[in-house]
Amino acid sequence: MESVLKNVSSSVELLAVAAHSSVVEHWQEQTVSRAFQWASYCEHLHSRFHSNPTVRGTIEKQIQQTNQHLLSAFPGCTQVCFSDLSRLRHLLLQGLLTNPKLPLSIMKTLFDSKHPAERTYSENQDVHGLCNYIVRCKSACKVLRLLTDSLAVGAVGADAEVLGETLMERLEAVMSQSGDLCKAEHFLDSVLQGGEGATPHLCVVISAALLTRKKSAAETASHAVLLDWLLKRHSTLKHMVTEAPTALITDLVKRHLKFRDAYCNVLKEWASDMEYSLSEGEWTTQTNPTLTFQNLTQHFLTLFEACPSVRAEVEKELNILKKSDGDFEVGGLSVWGDLLSALNQ
Amino acid sequence: MSQLKPEIQTQRMTETLQDVKKIQFWLDKAVAWSQNKSPDTLRDISRHLRKLCAYLQQLLIHVNSLSSTTEAMEKLPFMGQLLGRLCWNFHVTANDTSREVLFQCLWALYSEHPSNAVERKANQWIQNVLCHFATEEGDGPQAVMKGLFLPLHEYYLKVLGKSVSLLQEEIVKSCSSLGGINSRCSCDKILATSEACVPLVTCGDAAPLIGALLQRAETCVQAVLSEDFLHALNTAYSSKCLVLEEQSVVSLWCHSLSTLEEAVLSLLESVVTNTATTPQKMLEKVSQSLLPKACAQNCSIFLVVNDIFRSTMKHAEGNENMKSLIQLFSLCFLKEHAQLQTQMYLPLKYFFPQTSQSLLIPMSTLPSEMPQEAWRLHLNWLSSSLQRLTEEEEKGDGGSGSHRGLHKVFEAWFLLVQCSHWVQVALQLLSTNDLRDCSALLWLLTFYHHPTNRGHHRTMQLVRSQKLWKHLHSLFLNLAHPPSVDQLQPLITLLTSPPPQQPPLAPTLILSLLVNFAVFFQSGPTHILQMVVDGSGLLQEVVCVLSSLELRLSEGSCRESDTNRVHIRIKELQKSLDTCVQYGPWSPAVNQTHSLTHTVKRFENDEGVRTSPKQLTGLRLCGNPWQCDFYH
Repeated sequence: MESVLKNVSSSVELLAVAAHSSVVEHWQEQTVSRAFQWASYCEHLHSRFHSNPTVRGTIEKQIQQTNQHLLSAFPGCTQVCFSDLSRLRHLLLQGLLTNPKLPLSIMKTLFDSKHPAERTYSENQDVHGLCNYIVRCKSACKVLRLLTDSLAVGAVGADAEVLGETLMERLEAVMSQSGDLCKAEHFLDSVLQGGEGATPHLCVVISAALLTRKKSAAETASHAVLLDWLLKRHSTLKHMVTEAPTALITDLVKRHLKFRDAYCNVLKEWASDMEYSLSEGEWTTQTNPTLTFQNLTQHFLTLFEACPSVRAEVEKELNILKKSDGDFEVGGLSVWGDLLSALNQ
Repeated sequence: MSQLKPEIQTQRMTETLQDVKKIQFWLDKAVAWSQNKSPDTLRDISRHLRKLCAYLQQLLIHVNSLSSTTEAMEKLPFMGQLLGRLCWNFHVTANDTSREVLFQCLWALYSEHPSNAVERKANQWIQNVLCHFATEEGDGPQAVMKGLFLPLHEYYLKVLGKSVSLLQEEIVKSCSSLGGINSRCSCDKILATSEACVPLVTCGDAAPLIGALLQRAETCVQAVLSEDFLHALNTAYSSKCLVLEEQSVVSLWCHSLSTLEEAVLSLLESVVTNTATTPQKMLEKVSQSLLPKACAQNCSIFLVVNDIFRSTMKHAEGNENMKSLIQLFSLCFLKEHAQLQTQMYLPLKYFFPQTSQSLLIPMSTLPSEMPQEAWRLHLNWLSSSLQRLTEEEEKGDGGSGSHRGLHKVFEAWFLLVQCSHWVQVALQLLSTNDLRDCSALLWLLTFYHHPTNRGHHRTMQLVRSQKLWKHLHSLFLNLAHPPSVDQLQPLITLLTSPPPQQPPLAPTLILSLLVNFAVFFQSGPTHILQMVVDGSGLLQEVVCVLSSLELRLSEGSCRESDTNRVHIRIKELQKSLDTCVQYGPWSPAVNQTHSLTHTVKRFENDEGVRTSPKQLTGLRLCGNPWQCDFYH
């Protein structure tokens, strides 16, 4: 443990030196390689111990101590924390490239484009042409993103799929370590920020995660946990239903029974919130200004298309509600009646 | 002197005006490209990528000639803007070539020891750009990535892989062969996809996608590839930057004639101009080139390749390297063709539309495919068919018929060159103690080296080769009194300094007959070959003939009982020839060697540079018998 702490401390110092010290002027290719090796070691440490609170705590304390020392040497220096260890190589690269004393030779090595050989970044700590490869990857992603968007390939973009898959992998790992559902929920909260300020990105990522196709028992269990988490966070669910494209919702309804039911409930909730505005001659709702009656009808139709067997049941329910409203055939009096007529056109 | 100055000044002024125009042009382009990403814009970028790279190279040279960044900023004030805009254009940064030259421009503007504020600012800007390139997180969901402990570079790598496989899947399922007649395939997306992939042709991570595009375009008529895409692939192929799997390279050849021609010509160049190459190395090069396999799978590829060979043969028929290459190539091709699965199999006649079936089938059968006893009969038959053909041609004098006749003879001869495994068998049979059918075999051998009586003097050469054969036969038969150097002199003279008034008997004919005798003649004197080599200095040529004999035998067309003896014989001969190496260029016959190789090279381009068939057309050799108005 002693050596681990020492190494972590040295690595954090190394990061500060790389970002702020003029010593880098004398750095060679081998020095940079070694620095990356150390950063990689820290990343390994992180993945081993991030779910172990005792070790994590000890390391965190060590990092805090090192931070204090570094503040005196480099007054503007960024404070590192334990979770930063997971992306230390990235931080190292960022630090180096913002250090004005970085020699041209190192820059040229990092961005060397004469090595067309494909590389797997994870194992290979060779810094030669590293940044060139990153730039190529990023640019190629953007080029293909434009293409997949214009061709409407896939219900979610490649980026959301990657994040969704990674989310599932991590979730499965957490669940295999301890069957405690609390831990899993805690993990999801930390990644998905408790669903607060659910951005469109987040909704797509969650959808992508729910639609992965590994067909393993672990996946089914993880899907269940994620779904439960989602359904508990009502606002996130509503947000998702509003933001996600029709194709995506259709896939989710087909795939997960619980989602279908939750979706149906959301729609009914929305409908019951609606009031008829005489001036506009339309049903509107205050709680969700962007939702129109047409949208709502469309949602119901999506639900029926995805799952035709549910139509009869839902229509029966709507009929009962219509009857309780007075069973009028005239429009504008019962949202349920109007819905039924719109759906049966 | 003073009169010159204004001229130079005007020249400099017009140069700078041109520079300004050019940079303005590219700056306008860069601005337009950054404003929207419509399909038209993307097409414009793809179309201009190469020219952009060329322009940036020029700019780079210019900047490097200047003394400092300050000077560069003064003389080329818009350069910074241009580079900036290009750096932010991910189509430009995705392409390996443009990205490389862009970086080099940045390095050129970086000052290691900045001397003023301008240079310091430039340095800062450059470092900012680089940092942005490598570490900027973009508009992805950073928080989620951080929460998942997914490093940025790993994320982008995975996204790239995922995009490629999504698009690949889309291509595969867009055209299902299981659909009914009425089901429309959505292969019209292929054009847009190929256009988008123009910057990515050299990106190894995108290779599966590019391969899928090429293969889809082969199987579906609706799938059309963009011209820019094919052009970019061709350029990448020429500069050897293309990373594609075998099947995709073959698909590329199907779509792009220029790429295919390039491949064939580079094979020719690597083999024909390299005089030190051995038959084994040649065979390796041929099979590694993927061309035989591609030819077997695609009749159209074969027809193009064969045409190139045919036209090279018309103009450089004396080149033995060329002939060996064609023979080895055909051997590989026939083997690949025989191994094809039934659904891809097309009968040989489609590959050789200009040859009659009656000649094609027997010629293309390999000696290993029939019992050794049948060889003589087979060769007899071949020889008499060919004789008949030449007689027909020679009978019809003048008029349109003779062109056709000559054409037939040429095609038959070309086929024989391709299937010269039979010529090698003829040589073997001639070198045994068995005296049957030798006239037919000798005729075939002579025809191979001297096909016509119009300039090749076949009839006369036939007489001489018969004499030669008889002579060799007597030399080797005489075990009791092995020949001395003097007795071998006529043979050596025939090889090195033949009588100048008569057209010489092909040295390769003489040598190959000699070598075959040395190997196959039962219990003949062992040192004849050695002495001839010593006397004539033709070591390299003999070693080459011996190697190709070894190669043929290792393919397994020799009877089992003989194999050992023959191989031992060959090894002995090779060992004894190895000791000749020390004599090499110092042999007394060095002048004759020079004149011999000069004769052989007469049909090659004298500078030894790569000769395309088009260039070879330019060679107007006097007395070339195939040069009649029918061909050009």
